[in-house]
Amino acid sequence: MTRAAISIESLSKSFPPARSGWRAFLQPFEKPSLAALSDVALEVREGEAVALLGANGAGKSTLLRIIATLLLPTRGRALVAGHDVVAHSRDVRRLFGYHAGTDHGLYPRLTARENLLFFGQLNHLSRAVARQRIGSLAEQFSLGEFLDRQVRTLSSGTVQRLSLARALLHQPRVLLLDEPTRSLDVIAASEFRHFLKTRILGSGSTSILFASHTLPEVEALAHRIAVLDRGQLLACDSLQGLLQRTSAATLEGAFLRLTGRNREPSAEVSIA
Amino acid sequence: MIALRQMWLFFWRDLAIARTYRTVFVVEAVEALFGAATFYYVARFVDSPELRQALPQSGSYFAFSLIGFVFLDYLNAAMDAFDHSLQEARDSGTLEHLLVTQTSLPVFMAGSALYPFVATTLRIAVYFLWSAAFFEFPLRSANWFAVFVVLLASLLAFSGLGILSASYLLVFKRGNPAKWFVLGITSIIGGSLFPVSILPEWLQAVARFNPVTYALDATRAALLTGASVVFVWRPIAALLLFATVLLPASMAAFAWAVRHTKATGTLTHS
Repeated sequence: MTRAAISIESLSKSFPPARSGWRAFLQPFEKPSLAALSDVALEVREGEAVALLGANGAGKSTLLRIIATLLLPTRGRALVAGHDVVAHSRDVRRLFGYHAGTDHGLYPRLTARENLLFFGQLNHLSRAVARQRIGSLAEQFSLGEFLDRQVRTLSSGTVQRLSLARALLHQPRVLLLDEPTRSLDVIAASEFRHFLKTRILGSGSTSILFASHTLPEVEALAHRIAVLDRGQLLACDSLQGLLQRTSAATLEGAFLRLTGRNREPSAEVSIA
Repeated sequence: MIALRQMWLFFWRDLAIARTYRTVFVVEAVEALFGAATFYYVARFVDSPELRQALPQSGSYFAFSLIGFVFLDYLNAAMDAFDHSLQEARDSGTLEHLLVTQTSLPVFMAGSALYPFVATTLRIAVYFLWSAAFFEFPLRSANWFAVFVVLLASLLAFSGLGILSASYLLVFKRGNPAKWFVLGITSIIGGSLFPVSILPEWLQAVARFNPVTYALDATRAALLTGASVVFVWRPIAALLLFATVLLPASMAAFAWAVRHTKATGTLTHS
């Protein structure tokens, strides 16, 4: 765990204010003034899992979407295995798998297998290799019986497992997960975490950067936890490191102390 | 080679989705028969020796107007194909998953437009087949190679308009006044239902800047009189000139729109 899989250097992101009516026509020329990320610096090492922990609007998804080449940073830069996400976005897309934690994003009228074949081949897998990978992932995710059914007939949890299988098809070096267990039931979420821990992190070659509101998930998976608040990185340390630094007994306590909300109810951070 | 393979994947995806709506094929084939019948009887109603004389190929008004009508359908498909695929991908949430694959945006756009173009071409073919079978449409004299070349040149010219339309949609999210303007102007000055020669001279001058005028002239000549590619080289050259100007300009506009929406965070917003 020495080389950097992801390097984030002084990254800032601001958005222009949303406009409606005729002013919407001026929106493309508005100056970005709403800060979503401010001067964030972070590194994810090879084989490491780092959790992004923060309240809604803290900037977790924005950070993941910049690394996933879906957003351009305002300042600073992000590198995946040494490739700049803006200058070499195509090289970067070869290296990561992205899962947004929703049951959207697949073609409902295609079968699960057709969906996986389509996305696998778009990621430069040959048809034969894609078929082989689909077989192996279907076994790992218990998707075998659903492969030849249209996605619109599958449950939310199954679709989410399918979506995760899609992210893993081309064997990426980095996994970007945005609230990966959001639509999963307790058992499916637990199996999913077990899978990530044993099959993905166990291999030692894949790094994971994930956003989550579920503290047990963060504790179970993350080697280090990056606490974000209002676009600023407050701390990035191991669980023990965060507990020591804040003199808190639990991750929830550490989070509340770091964000200065220790007297407020913990509405934004839930324990699953 | 990779780009072509990826474009084929998009075509295969759309075909696989379309196959799940099989009755639509039947409905559209029947609809084409009704459409052709309507044009046939309208043409019979207005047809006269004077009208035939006024038409460029001195043919029947039915053949003239049917070609005009199906070509407007083609233009509509070209204007719709790109922004429709973009909107659908955005609404279904597949856009961001497509954008994180190793597919470039131009390939995504071109690949997504492939099936609508092929489907529209087939729909047009069905129109002509019904018309030839039941309404004396003179298909036998057609020069099919010339028709193919004209369609290809038209496709390239119209695609530029379609990509411009998609760029607008990407930035402003809804509607596309440019599309309705182009279609509206084209139905008046494109020569789809009446010859451009009956328009005032200044409108005839404007029509020379419309790719549809050239596409219709060449298609009618190739279909109705069997004109060869050599005979219709002027409208084909005009269409290719439009494509040479419109395609790079529209790709530049699209690249700007993508960069802008990636900066504002609205790329995948509906």
